Amino acid sequence: MGETLEPHHIAAKAPELPGPFAVGRYARKLQEEMRRRARVLLIGEVTGVGRSKVQAYFELRDGEGAVPCAIWLDDLDKAGLPDGALRDGAEVVIAGGPDYYPGGGQASPSFSFRATHVRLAGEGDLLARLEALRKQLRAEGLFELQGQLRRPVLPKTIGVVTAEAGAARRDLLAGLRRRGWAGTVVWAFAPVQDRHAAPAITAAIQDLAARPQVEAIVVSRGGGSLADLWAFCDETLCRTVAMLRVPVISAVGHERDSTLIDDVAAVACSTPTHAAEAVVPLDCGVARLDLQRSIASLSRAAEGAVRARTPHLVALARGPARALRRERLALNQKTREIRAASERGLAERLDFQRRLATVVLERARRRAAGAEMERRRAALHRAEVALRAHEPERTLERGYALVEDREGEPVTDTAGAAAAERVRLRFADGSVGAKIEEGE
Amino acid sequence: MTEKPDSYEVAVERLEQIIDRLDSGQAGLRETLDLCREGRDLVTYCTAELDAVGEDLKELKLDELAEKLASSASPGSA
Repeated sequence: MGETLEPHHIAAKAPELPGPFAVGRYARKLQEEMRRRARVLLIGEVTGVGRSKVQAYFELRDGEGAVPCAIWLDDLDKAGLPDGALRDGAEVVIAGGPDYYPGGGQASPSFSFRATHVRLAGEGDLLARLEALRKQLRAEGLFELQGQLRRPVLPKTIGVVTAEAGAARRDLLAGLRRRGWAGTVVWAFAPVQDRHAAPAITAAIQDLAARPQVEAIVVSRGGGSLADLWAFCDETLCRTVAMLRVPVISAVGHERDSTLIDDVAAVACSTPTHAAEAVVPLDCGVARLDLQRSIASLSRAAEGAVRARTPHLVALARGPARALRRERLALNQKTREIRAASERGLAERLDFQRRLATVVLERARRRAAGAEMERRRAALHRAEVALRAHEPERTLERGYALVEDREGEPVTDTAGAAAAERVRLRFADGSVGAKIEEGE
Repeated sequence: MTEKPDSYEVAVERLEQIIDRLDSGQAGLRETLDLCREGRDLVTYCTAELDAVGEDLKELKLDELAEKLASSASPGSA
């Protein structure tokens, strides 16, 4: 093998423990240890009952576990149980403690809870178990879940878990009819007696909840002892109900009975009749009357709203004509004012223009008069020049002489000169007398 | 009808709001007429819901419900 060790060689060497002891001796020591343990009462359901010549054996179990039990037939007889009471399904309380049978050369060893007393579980025992379970489920918050679900006030389809032949079925239907409700009831019949019914009830509830048409589920059973109703305290059933998304209405037992399903359900009712009211919260007859009142209210409101506004609407309707008339009058007035103003303005403008024209004309006239004067002055000057050109003095200045008679009249021909005899010769620088001496 | 209500209780709740608003007298004419129209639609819806559970109470066993659903799901077998 060399230096390599197999794992089991290591395991065999590793623990540093006392021993090894002879197993038979150890088994007897174990028995002593067991028998020294405290004696207690246990409560649970009996299953797997069997008998040998000297003892009865069975398992005592509940939802969480089980213990193998044995009781000497002598002790069983002393317990005074009714015949056949120690049977599968019986809820019992046993007193005793753990024991160990070490076996022998041929006999197999075994462990059991050695019961020295046994009695059927009473109401008090069941209540104690119920309280313990209730406390646990409450602590887990399972009591609040169903209460948070929305419950339809007018479901069309409801599921019901109950016994097929029970009075609960009849009472529930009667309650639904009193609500004026005539939808669909889906029955999931199940046994409802004692704790053995729990799995069937749980399955029925689950089957109903799996149908999307089912809007709410009623679980109903008539009254009875707590043992009769024990199925409705079953932990699995109650956990199932708590986790459903469909609201569950429980109506199990009577008012004084308090089963665990009441704690986890959305609503707990004391009777099937109450359950009918809980699963269909709406009284359909009352609802129809309410709707009629609603229709009346709506009609009243609509008519009232229009009627209340009618005078205002009429006033509004008249409003435009009145406003139009008022505006027309105002417009006419404005028109007159504008016309008057424009006429006045026109006259003023005319007058102004006239005055303006006068001034302009005057100025023009003046300007024209000046030019004329100039023109005339020039003409006069020209005439004066022309005239002066024709004056005798001008001629005289050029060396000519003017012949005048005695009266000063010009003598322009020889005949006049001969006649005048004496004339004056007028030169530019003066005149001299002259005598006409010879004629022609 | 305006938008279909989710459920009867939703419709009734809205209807009560409408009537409260109308009763307050604070709604204007347009709002009043709109609310009345909406209210009448809700009443129609609620009446139909009541009629749906107002004829004959039907009783089915769970397996009968399953069969009914199966037959309605396949028209050829109806």
